[in-house]
Amino acid sequence: MSETNLLRDRPVYVVGIGLHQYQRRSETTYVELGITAARSALRDAGITWPDVQAAYTGTALLGMGSSRIMLSRLGATGIPMTQVENASASGSSAVAQACLEVASGRSDVVLALGVDKPRGGLGAAPGQAGIENLENGTVVPFTHFALLASEYMHLHGVTAEQVAKVAFKNHRNGASNQYAQRQKVRSMEEILAEPISGAMTRLQCCPVGEGAAAAVIASEEGIRHLDLDRSRAVRINASVTRTEALYGAGVGIDAALTAETGEAAFNQAGIEPSDVDVLEVHDAFAIEELLYAEALGLCPPGEAASLIESGEFDIGGRCALSPSGGLLAMGHPIGPTGTGQVVEVTRQLRGEAGSRQHQGARIGLTHMVGIGAVCVVHVLSRD
Amino acid sequence: MTIQARHPHLLRLTDPPVILGHRCTSCSRVAFPPDPYGCEQCGSSCEDLEELDLEARGTVHAVATVHRHHRPYPTTPFTVAVIELSGGPVIKAIVAGSQVGVGAEVEGVLVQDLEDTEGNTLVDLQFQVVQ
Repeated sequence: MSETNLLRDRPVYVVGIGLHQYQRRSETTYVELGITAARSALRDAGITWPDVQAAYTGTALLGMGSSRIMLSRLGATGIPMTQVENASASGSSAVAQACLEVASGRSDVVLALGVDKPRGGLGAAPGQAGIENLENGTVVPFTHFALLASEYMHLHGVTAEQVAKVAFKNHRNGASNQYAQRQKVRSMEEILAEPISGAMTRLQCCPVGEGAAAAVIASEEGIRHLDLDRSRAVRINASVTRTEALYGAGVGIDAALTAETGEAAFNQAGIEPSDVDVLEVHDAFAIEELLYAEALGLCPPGEAASLIESGEFDIGGRCALSPSGGLLAMGHPIGPTGTGQVVEVTRQLRGEAGSRQHQGARIGLTHMVGIGAVCVVHVLSRD
Repeated sequence: MTIQARHPHLLRLTDPPVILGHRCTSCSRVAFPPDPYGCEQCGSSCEDLEELDLEARGTVHAVATVHRHHRPYPTTPFTVAVIELSGGPVIKAIVAGSQVGVGAEVEGVLVQDLEDTEGNTLVDLQFQVVQ
């Protein structure tokens, strides 16, 4: 079977971005969260709601039918709207569907929105699959990743303090992000306090709050027709989704799945890992950033910890890793997170990230994994 | 009052205890846990999956001591390990005590834990360093 490269043949761009701050659960309704981000993205793009031809809402926790009651408050234009659920990658998959919609030629201007409010528990379907396991209930996500940290530290001679430096960097980045749930510079002492599981402490685990993120996706034709500012448009060069395959006993699925998805995305975009200037990865737990930096080919296995320590992945370093503060500081409200990564990378590639700006950023990458397991990677660039 | 396994479909309460896995008669893949649907390697249906006894013995690849837990069992702190069984599959299970390190050879033991709501005593499989 042939494989087409839609995004090469019919260029797709991010032309507008918007956020509602990620925050602890509040009285704010998801409708308010969602339309705040959507209006902000429309304003940023310089378009009005009737210009939008379709909408995809990434959400995992709201329950059925969230889009229309929310987006019709921008005007009930009757456009197609679809909820997209892909666990933690739901917002990434909303962007992926918007890319497909535009690249296919069906629409020229599409809204990708991520919005969520946590309720009690995540209600993940794999737990109801009828497949009993010995660890059922005892290995929640923070312990799954604490076990990966144990294996990584043992294999590469890395200390818990070195792993914690991921959180030190990301809390510092988040401190200058007005949309972040956590906006405090933290000392290593604070980060190493309050153990949760294994080497993972409270500040090395992401907060799951509420929020919204929006990106307006458009074709060349859409940019021309609406006379949009081309200099602020950021191209999406690759959009790849994969699910977990069999990797052999003892191989960490999260990193193996990331490596496969990343490689496919680099091929689709026609770039090398070393070309990437700015990355937002699924750093729900501090150890993950090390695993994914290596799985994405930024450095050989076992070297990410020392590169973090020496500042190579700081804003202004070799490449900026999680400049938004990542999931650890910006937060992980589930549905919005993947769309929010595209917002941050677009801001960076436009040179509009203010005190978080990674100078000269031209190529960016977003990466989410989700329960299931799924992985979604996008590569973005500006000319 | 009776003694029951917390995971009756995954264990045989013998001495030593046995872990139940499956083997695909079509592609020979050995897996844990036993699956009621089909083979992830070759796609054969569950009729092709035969029950397979796995020795409750293996090598520790990773450990984590858990300090926060939202259920009454197990009580914190408890330690979870990734264990490569001698029969191949990699499992996660509770290890008895916090002295078990990466690389340790461990074996399964049955440990009594909480009673269920009917007053039955439940036993769970935990691992300890090979004596």
